[in-house]
Amino acid sequence: MLALLGSTFITVFLAELGDKTQLAIVSISGTTNRPGAVFAGSAAALVLASLVGAAAGGSLASLIGPDVLQLGASVGFLILGARLILRSSRSQGEETPTP
Amino acid sequence: MTSPFDPEPIPSASESPLPSQSAPPSANDATNQVEPPGPGQIPPASSWLAVFLTTATTVFLAELGDKTQLAALLLAAESGRPVVVFVGASLALICSSLVGVLLGRWLSTVMAPNQLERAAGLLMVALGLWLGRQAMLHLAPLPLLPPGLLRAAIG
Repeated sequence: MLALLGSTFITVFLAELGDKTQLAIVSISGTTNRPGAVFAGSAAALVLASLVGAAAGGSLASLIGPDVLQLGASVGFLILGARLILRSSRSQGEETPTP
Repeated sequence: MTSPFDPEPIPSASESPLPSQSAPPSANDATNQVEPPGPGQIPPASSWLAVFLTTATTVFLAELGDKTQLAALLLAAESGRPVVVFVGASLALICSSLVGVLLGRWLSTVMAPNQLERAAGLLMVALGLWLGRQAMLHLAPLPLLPPGLLRAAIG
C-alpha cells in the first residue's frame, strides 16, 4: 500500500512538473497579490480532477469529450493571457519605463 | 465553384423571400454585444474569490483529459485500489501547485511586474493556441487538411 502510494506520488509529481498546468499556476501566482487564493484554487481543482480520474473513471471526460474540455481550457488561457498583456501595456503607458 | 456566369437567378425583393442559410446574425448580435473593455475595467487587485475561481476553473479544465489524469486512471484500474491512488495523486498535485505558486512569487520579486505580466500573458496565449490547436486537430482531423497533402502523406 505504501509502495503504491509512493509510486503514484512520484509518477504524478514528475509528470506534473513543467506541465502546462504548472506554467499557468506560475503565471497567475506571479501576477497577482494573492498567492493563497491561487494555491487554494489550484489545489482544489487538481484534487477534484484526480478524484474524477481515479474514482469516477473519467466519466466527465468521456461524457463531454476531453477535446471539448481542452478547447474550453484554451479559451480560458487566451482570455487570461490577453488580459495580462493588456494590463502590462497599459501600466507601461502610465509609468514611464526605464530603458 | 461559383462563377460570375452562374445560371442561378438572383432573387429580387418580392413577397416570397427565400429562407437563406447564411442569414446575417446582426439582429441577434446587436443585443448580445459585449462591451469593449474600457480603461480601468480590470481592477488592480482582484478579490480573493475572483482569483480562486479563475485559478480553479483554468486548472480544472486544463487538467481534465491531461496525461496526469490518464496516469491516475490507469494506476487506479491496474492496482484495484482507487483510494490509495487518489490520495497519492492528490498529494503530488498539491505539492506541484505549491511549487508553482512559490516559483511565481519568486519571479515576482526578481522581475519587474510589467515584464512579468507581459511574459506571463504571452506564455498563456501560446498555451491557449497550442491547446486549441491540439483539440481542433482531434475534433476535426481530416477536413482541415487539403486533399493533396493527405494523399501525399498516405502514399
